[in-house]
Amino acid sequence: MLNLAIEKKENIPESDIIRYITPRMARFYRTEGGFLSLEIEPGEVYARVNLYRTFPHKEARRYISVLNDKGKEIGLIKSIDDFPPETVRLMEKELSRRYFVPAILKIRSIKEEFEYSYWDVVTDSGERRFTVQGRHNRLVSISETRHLVIDVDGNRFEIADYRKLDPKSIKIIETLI
Amino acid sequence: MKLIFELPQKENGIIEKRLGTEEVLYCIPYDVDFKGNFAEGWMVVTQSRIILLLNGSLEDEFEISRGSNYKAVTYTGSGVLEGNFDGTLKPVTGYSMTHVPRYMYMARILNELAEGKIPKIFLTEDDHVCSQCGRAFIRGTHICPFCTSRIKIIKRLFKISKPHWHMYLLVISIFWAITGLSMIPPFINRHLVDDYLIQGKRELASILLLVGGLFACAALNTVLVMVRGRIMARIGGLLSMDLKNMVYKKIQSLSLGYLDKRKTGDLMNRINGDTREIQSFIQDHGAMGVNEIILLIAVGIYLFLNNWLLALFVFIPVPFVAIACRKLGTSIGRKFRTQRRVWDKTNSFLQDILSGIRVVKAFGQEKRGIERFGELNREYADVTINNEKYYNTLFPIINFILGAGNFLVLYMGGKLVLGNNMSIGELVQFCMYANYVYKPLRWLGFMPRWFSNAMIGAERIFEVIDEEPEIKDDENPIQHGIRGKVTFRGVTFGYKSYEPVLKDISINVEKGEMIGIVGRSGAGKSTVINLIMRLYDADEGEVLIDGIDIKKLSQKDFRSQLGVVLQETFLFSGTIYENIIYAKSDASYEDVIRAAKIANAHEFIVKFPDGYDTKVGERGQRLSGGERQRIAIARAIINDPKILILDEATASVDTETEQKIQEALGRLVKNRTTFAIAHRLSTLKSADRLMIIDNGSLVEVGTHDELFKAKGLYHDLVVAQRKMSRMQGA
Repeated sequence: MLNLAIEKKENIPESDIIRYITPRMARFYRTEGGFLSLEIEPGEVYARVNLYRTFPHKEARRYISVLNDKGKEIGLIKSIDDFPPETVRLMEKELSRRYFVPAILKIRSIKEEFEYSYWDVVTDSGERRFTVQGRHNRLVSISETRHLVIDVDGNRFEIADYRKLDPKSIKIIETLI
Repeated sequence: MKLIFELPQKENGIIEKRLGTEEVLYCIPYDVDFKGNFAEGWMVVTQSRIILLLNGSLEDEFEISRGSNYKAVTYTGSGVLEGNFDGTLKPVTGYSMTHVPRYMYMARILNELAEGKIPKIFLTEDDHVCSQCGRAFIRGTHICPFCTSRIKIIKRLFKISKPHWHMYLLVISIFWAITGLSMIPPFINRHLVDDYLIQGKRELASILLLVGGLFACAALNTVLVMVRGRIMARIGGLLSMDLKNMVYKKIQSLSLGYLDKRKTGDLMNRINGDTREIQSFIQDHGAMGVNEIILLIAVGIYLFLNNWLLALFVFIPVPFVAIACRKLGTSIGRKFRTQRRVWDKTNSFLQDILSGIRVVKAFGQEKRGIERFGELNREYADVTINNEKYYNTLFPIINFILGAGNFLVLYMGGKLVLGNNMSIGELVQFCMYANYVYKPLRWLGFMPRWFSNAMIGAERIFEVIDEEPEIKDDENPIQHGIRGKVTFRGVTFGYKSYEPVLKDISINVEKGEMIGIVGRSGAGKSTVINLIMRLYDADEGEVLIDGIDIKKLSQKDFRSQLGVVLQETFLFSGTIYENIIYAKSDASYEDVIRAAKIANAHEFIVKFPDGYDTKVGERGQRLSGGERQRIAIARAIINDPKILILDEATASVDTETEQKIQEALGRLVKNRTTFAIAHRLSTLKSADRLMIIDNGSLVEVGTHDELFKAKGLYHDLVVAQRKMSRMQGA
């Protein structure tokens, strides 16, 4: 059996090579419907690609995986800021479409009743009221100061640095963290 | 699931103008716009068009038939409804996670509308928000903690405990007796003080009588309290037992659909945990509580009748303390929860490390674990110390304030005595009664919380008891001796009805045929089997057994004629013998041995020191995969089933065991209608026909030779499988 394994090694496709997508060899553009398209020289065209963050909590703009519409990875973008400003804007839009995590700017109130808490906040995407169940894994600390709040439906909200909020908000949120 | 929302006035006006007489079929919120902002929008769907309203004005309009392939795509935190319009993929609306299920339905509905069909959608999924008050239901239930009627629950609990009514009567009489007894000592004391201490009467006999009276009261009280405690324990225990039985029975009778959605832990909690809450509430708090309240009322009346001014002083501190407790209650709760949270963190960490201790040691990371544990311990200690400091400061103060009334009473009472308006004895009596008041008041402070918990526990239990099984027997279920013909007619089914797993499956299987079910992972093979076993009912189409609709058959009778060998062999904790006779409790020893022999299990069982009496399951003998499989086959055989379900294990065993299993299976399927999810080539070749399932549809049907020659999907799957075997050196 050992012989067979060594023999067959050449037939096994390489899997650990990272293919970087750089501005020099690739161009992103917007489709009519508002989605993202990719063209890699020479002649490799993808009508629709999806961008995924490989480290969504740590790196918002680096190590972005580019997948085709069947879900297979085409390559990795080391940093979206390597690309020309127009493209960067397109990518930011696409990423914010996929990762909709409004940042909480101000906490109006949090009412706790039974096992739920009812939040009333102002985010950078507008005002919102939502319900959070328990606190166990619904108020996640990504770092000492950065937190993620997940409501009963799965909507996510981020508190980038709770110490930077206004005093009233800090007072409300402090007891929960 | 709500798919028709009411539009606000302005939007309603716009729609009416736009549509005229056209009927609105669906209307759901569109709450995230394409700039990534929360929005107030609506998607209105009619037979022919989609109208989008955003922030109070008309945003866009689509003709449904010009689009195809509508899909609801969920991202992280939001979703987009897309459609393919004249070849271009376009987004239609955006929505937050709150509306994901709604849009998944809508995508399906739009696809049907685009094809000109009338959407047939089954709205079995519900919202998890209370329709009355908007609060979220308690997780895993449809119970709104705010809206549940406590009265109804209590009424129901009483109804269940009706059989024990004589015990209740006894207990209530004891309550009154105890209360009555409590009222006597202060009265005796008054006489002792006034007549004997003050006035100086010196009749030893009468003194002894009075003291004797005090003693008798105390002794009788003790006896009554003992009896009360025992009876309450009995009531609590019996009620709990009745509830547990009801819940367990109901759970067993419910369909797999309900059970699938819940975790084992949750169900166990309801049977054991929730019933315990009720039991402990009745025993610990209920008993004392009722007494305290009766006492409070009785004493209160007496005090006010006697001297309303003094009585007022007794009760004055109460409202202050109540308000203070209320305010502090939340912060106490928070402290407690923080403590609990850190405790849970520490526990999880420990459990994690200890379960994975092999990995810790293999990678040499012990030191890290020690440091981390030290940190968590420290945190817990800090929090606990802080909390204790808080409680130890707070409660004494509260107690003092409550008792402060006493000083007022003494002062005012003293003045009355000095002014000869009241005897000392009367004052003593009054004070003693006053003291009776504080315990009940304190108790009343805690009561709401306990009561709430018990009521929620009761409600959770009733929720299960009230649940109607999805798969119900017909009004007059038919008991039918199965011959073995199985038919699928246009069967469509999805665990979530908006995501069908099987689409329009039709096939006719004759008695005694062996059908192999083939397909990729997740194609729908196990679902076919679930439908034959009637663990779920099809959303559309019929499953027929010997020409009779499976829904008309008695479930119990039908299933007792099925034989099942599943992929994961689950053996109950018990002996091998008990496991084999599981489906046929009246099997003889010969039956068991014969079944085991057919399954090629007899030889290895006999070699065990305890033979067929060997205990298996969690605490018992560790069996190898092949051994478990064969015991499972014996279990399936013993009933002589007419229809056999086989879900082949993919775990590999050694060749010899493999042969034995194959032999056993071969004997098992002879002359029985068999449905086998097959992975082994040998099984596939020996099947009479094969069903090839791809993405929920039945794409090919035929014998191995026919399908292989046809060079379709089956051919590709076999070739790939062969390649795999060669690579593995098999």
